[in-house]
Amino acid sequence: MRRAGAGLWAALAVGAVGVVGTFAVDGAQRFWANWILWFVVAVCVALGALFIVALQHVTGAMWSVPLRRVPERVAALTPWLVPLALIALFSLPVSFSWTQPGAAASATVALKTSWLNYPFFIARLAVCIALWVLSYRMLVGGSLRQDKTRDPAATIRLRRYAPVFMILLALTLTAFAFDWVSSLEAGWYSDIFGAYLFAGAVTSSLAATTLLAIYLYRRDRLPGVTPDHLYNLGGLLFGFTIFWGYIAFSQYLLQWYANLPAEVFWFQQRTMGSMQGVFILLGVGHFFVPFLALMSRRDKQNWRRLRWVALWVLFMEFVDVFWLISPIQGAGLHLGWPEASFALFFVAAGLLIVRRAMGMGEHMPVGDPFLADGLKFHLR
Amino acid sequence: MSDRVFGVLGLYRDADALLAAIPEVKASGFTRLEAFTPYPVHGMDEALDLPKSMLGVLVFLMGALACVSAFTFEWWTSTVSYPLRTAGKAMNGWPGWVLVMVEATILVSTFTAAFGMLFVFNKLPFFGNPMLETDALPAFTRDRFALVVMSGRGRLDVEAAKAALRAAGGDALEVIPEPERVRASAGWWMRTVVGLVTVCFLAGYGMDWATRTYPTVRPMVNMEVQPRLDPEAPDAFFANGRGMQRPPDGAVARGYLPILAATPEDAGKELVDPLPVTAAVLARGRHMFDLHCAVCHDRLGTGKPWLDSTYQAQPVDLQSAPMRDAADGFLYWVISQGIRTMPGYAADISQDDRWAIVRYIRALQRSQNATAEDVK
Repeated sequence: MRRAGAGLWAALAVGAVGVVGTFAVDGAQRFWANWILWFVVAVCVALGALFIVALQHVTGAMWSVPLRRVPERVAALTPWLVPLALIALFSLPVSFSWTQPGAAASATVALKTSWLNYPFFIARLAVCIALWVLSYRMLVGGSLRQDKTRDPAATIRLRRYAPVFMILLALTLTAFAFDWVSSLEAGWYSDIFGAYLFAGAVTSSLAATTLLAIYLYRRDRLPGVTPDHLYNLGGLLFGFTIFWGYIAFSQYLLQWYANLPAEVFWFQQRTMGSMQGVFILLGVGHFFVPFLALMSRRDKQNWRRLRWVALWVLFMEFVDVFWLISPIQGAGLHLGWPEASFALFFVAAGLLIVRRAMGMGEHMPVGDPFLADGLKFHLR
Repeated sequence: MSDRVFGVLGLYRDADALLAAIPEVKASGFTRLEAFTPYPVHGMDEALDLPKSMLGVLVFLMGALACVSAFTFEWWTSTVSYPLRTAGKAMNGWPGWVLVMVEATILVSTFTAAFGMLFVFNKLPFFGNPMLETDALPAFTRDRFALVVMSGRGRLDVEAAKAALRAAGGDALEVIPEPERVRASAGWWMRTVVGLVTVCFLAGYGMDWATRTYPTVRPMVNMEVQPRLDPEAPDAFFANGRGMQRPPDGAVARGYLPILAATPEDAGKELVDPLPVTAAVLARGRHMFDLHCAVCHDRLGTGKPWLDSTYQAQPVDLQSAPMRDAADGFLYWVISQGIRTMPGYAADISQDDRWAIVRYIRALQRSQNATAEDVK
């Protein structure tokens, strides 16, 4: 365990050198494109994990109580979004098309200036991040305190706050998707885009939750958890894979059909030329692979298969956001040592954060009055 | 009542006793076991080691077949049988077909799951189960748990099975005879199919007869019935009984005076632009030019069409010297009558609007060939 930690710190250091080197060698544009990419991935995984936690409270699910500490620990990424966002603000004059001189000459961009301007943009980001960190403190902090107090009323408070968080998440994540991904190319329109990013967020954090749950399950840290519990995680992953495919294809189909120059240029950059391979990989890898791999009940109960699928889905979330953001640097496939360094840096940092979060509270929410019922869960 | 055996039944006190008995009975060599319990018991599937249902595989295969069939159907109809470009897309516009493929897959999968479960695996139309005839029926639907050693094709060592069940703690042992399983005869299928077809015909023709005999009652007629002539509708007012009448021979519509000049050159000499010089005329000309002309002649009249290269014609450059020197009447005649591949617009654009277009072309020509004086 200690050796793994040292390895992660080493990877973080090597990645950091590459990240700084990107700025020095390849310039600001590539650096900021990668920074925004990983900022968006971090938001997706952290917020998706908070969504999974809130979903269990909203539905009053009992099967998931023994596993709930796992997404709560993945959500520990949330406070770290603050430094990521503060640094990302410096990308505004470089990467965003609406901040460029002469952007207002375009009629569609001029229409959006009341939404896309520095004060309002930064205020929106501040409100979003503040609400997310606050919700993290409420949902995860409340659950951790319950470990010590064993107060059943805490469960009721969490269940009261969870629906409020759902509404806040829908609004803030939509605003975040429009601001930090859509507005990179401010001329583009897609109303469904918030739902698109949300679908990717939930699939990726479900995959992270599944991976971590299997890791703990294999080491007997989750006594009483059976493959039936893991089956439910696989079922959710399967369902949200279909949801992602549905939303992604809906967005593509409508813009393909209408063929309006104001919309279709965005897809031209992302489906033609050197991005075509990434586009096909995304369609096959983000939908068909997990869809077929998780279809039967036996596959979802088989933790070995589930582990591979979850790892693949996490990789696909990176491909998805890469596909969204990388083309702002112009034509061509922007993939090389800078991207590898950023991946090394952020994956190592994320693992270190989650690893530190493993020390938060017990491995299961021992204060939750429904824990015993959750452990009794059987599929048949 | 045959002398073949369906199975031997034993009753157990509770679910745990039943689960404990199953491995014991299996150890005695009886592997074909069935359990009947008042409520679902966790762990029963694993204990009985039932074979995996094939229904999932069947649903997957049928769903995949439906998906491929829907694609093939769409591809054949719109690419092979009647090649059709939709909305200017390339041939094989498969993204538009995905909806049909998804719907077909879901429909056929659902039907396969429901009807496969009923007819293939639950063996309809055979109703009834020998378990319904047993003395233990009230017990294992209330508070007892039954284990049945099933016979393989009617062959079972009844005494050995009884002994095994009793040894595992079972009581109220009962031998269940195999029922006379009457297969649905060819006559049954015939009557069923003929009956269904008859019902369909009766319903269809009955509905047809009823709607003819008793006209539909319309609850609201507010906008549906109006004192108005629909196109091609009959009307008693005119002698020929038609609602639509031809104009009398030689009638000329207002604003659409025909041109008498035979050639554009004649028209250039004879016709004079009748419109006043106002901003409204120019604005009207610009609107009509952008609407009708710009697609081929370009907004500036440069003759570069917006259409892609499959449009082969080469429109005239309105900024060229011959066009700048041509008389107003010349342009008016060409707009009205058409020339080479360009169709005439006399029927579509009124004469004032045609003159307004001419005026706007003049403005365009001057704007693209402005002199220093124009700017002063």
